[in-house]
Amino acid sequence: MKRALVLCCAAVGAALTACSAAAQPVAGTTLAATMTSPVDIRLDWTGTDPAAAGRIVEFATAPDGPWTTLQFMPVRQDSYTHPDLMPQTSFYYRLRPYYGPASDAVDVTVPGGSAGNDDKDWPAPATLPGGPAVTHSVRDGTPAGAPSGLKAKVLQSNGIQFTWTDNASDEEGYLVEDKPAGAADYKVVAVLDKDINSFALITLPDEDKASYRVRAFYYGPSSNVVTRKTGGQ
Amino acid sequence: MLGGILAAASLLLVAPDAYAQVESGSWKTWSPGYNVQQVGCGSVSGSTFKLTCSNSSGEQRAERRYDTYSGGTHQFEGYFKINSMGGSRISLKQTFGSGPFFLLAVESGGRMYSVEGGATISGGATVGTTVRVNTVNQVGSTHRTYINGSLKNTVNSPSGSYYDKLGAYRTASGQGPISVTWSNIRFWTK
Repeated sequence: MKRALVLCCAAVGAALTACSAAAQPVAGTTLAATMTSPVDIRLDWTGTDPAAAGRIVEFATAPDGPWTTLQFMPVRQDSYTHPDLMPQTSFYYRLRPYYGPASDAVDVTVPGGSAGNDDKDWPAPATLPGGPAVTHSVRDGTPAGAPSGLKAKVLQSNGIQFTWTDNASDEEGYLVEDKPAGAADYKVVAVLDKDINSFALITLPDEDKASYRVRAFYYGPSSNVVTRKTGGQ
Repeated sequence: MLGGILAAASLLLVAPDAYAQVESGSWKTWSPGYNVQQVGCGSVSGSTFKLTCSNSSGEQRAERRYDTYSGGTHQFEGYFKINSMGGSRISLKQTFGSGPFFLLAVESGGRMYSVEGGATISGGATVGTTVRVNTVNQVGSTHRTYINGSLKNTVNSPSGSYYDKLGAYRTASGQGPISVTWSNIRFWTK
């Protein structure tokens, strides 16, 4: 039977994410789902992973996805409520930790003002040439693969261009994180593809003064997958 | 034994289309045609839609305009990811009736709102984050919008003809640039 399950996973391949997720849950992490009303689902989980930078909670309405991220969360968060759901629909949930080293932080103050770009040449996310000759894995727990040389250039009243050196050899992408003045923690404000080392951000009014950092990241294995079917009309 | 495993795998592979639609009922897959509209600094490449300028006036749009339907209940599902955004207040998904009916737009920072009235619909449409959109238009009853699975907007849906649009459209108070990619676009009807 075990052999048959392995063959099943091999035959279905990468498309059957839930199958592989169930085979390799994060050690010590157990996800549970509770209907708190016919159209509200509360997720609770146990277990911590001090090595993780954070976790994401994802949902799908079919067991093999596509999966959609609901929230980037700090490691200490242990519950999430998904409210006002589509009725008479099956919901699937899983948790995934993410890991990877962050750059040093830079503090940026922008003049502020109305949102919008007055620069006709707004820079798209890009890979700038001239990277280091030697790169490092971000999966060995050392900071060697962390982005370095993070620079911020104020482009306009509420726009900042960040550039950094990509020292990572095996990242899945980069997270741009900010901590507005007075906030307790950093939060994810953009998710970028791997090898990107130039990104421009429009800030919000409460981000006129903020600290920024960039993280080379990769996802860890999924938790167990839980499912509930909503009621309602 | 191997045949049984392959049969099971085949079922798993085809299963999503069987129950991917949301809400209850006898939904049938629908495949409307569409035409591509590129106006002003709007450009379309596959399923990526761009406004390349920061003009705050004039018509700037890069969109797909799907076929018109009349009566019945129609469901749209799609996922968008903003690749880059230097502007703000850009409409990404629209349901049109005899005129603009429901327009979902995004501001810099990721706030999604209804252009008609300006009510906040959701946050979370930050650069690089995939957002799932489901709309269910029960013609003659209600039009419901779900963001990432949660009901965020319900409006009355008068009888008549409708069509869906998606892409990037500069609203009256908005400006580019923006690059957004849509994926897994599907339609059902009942």
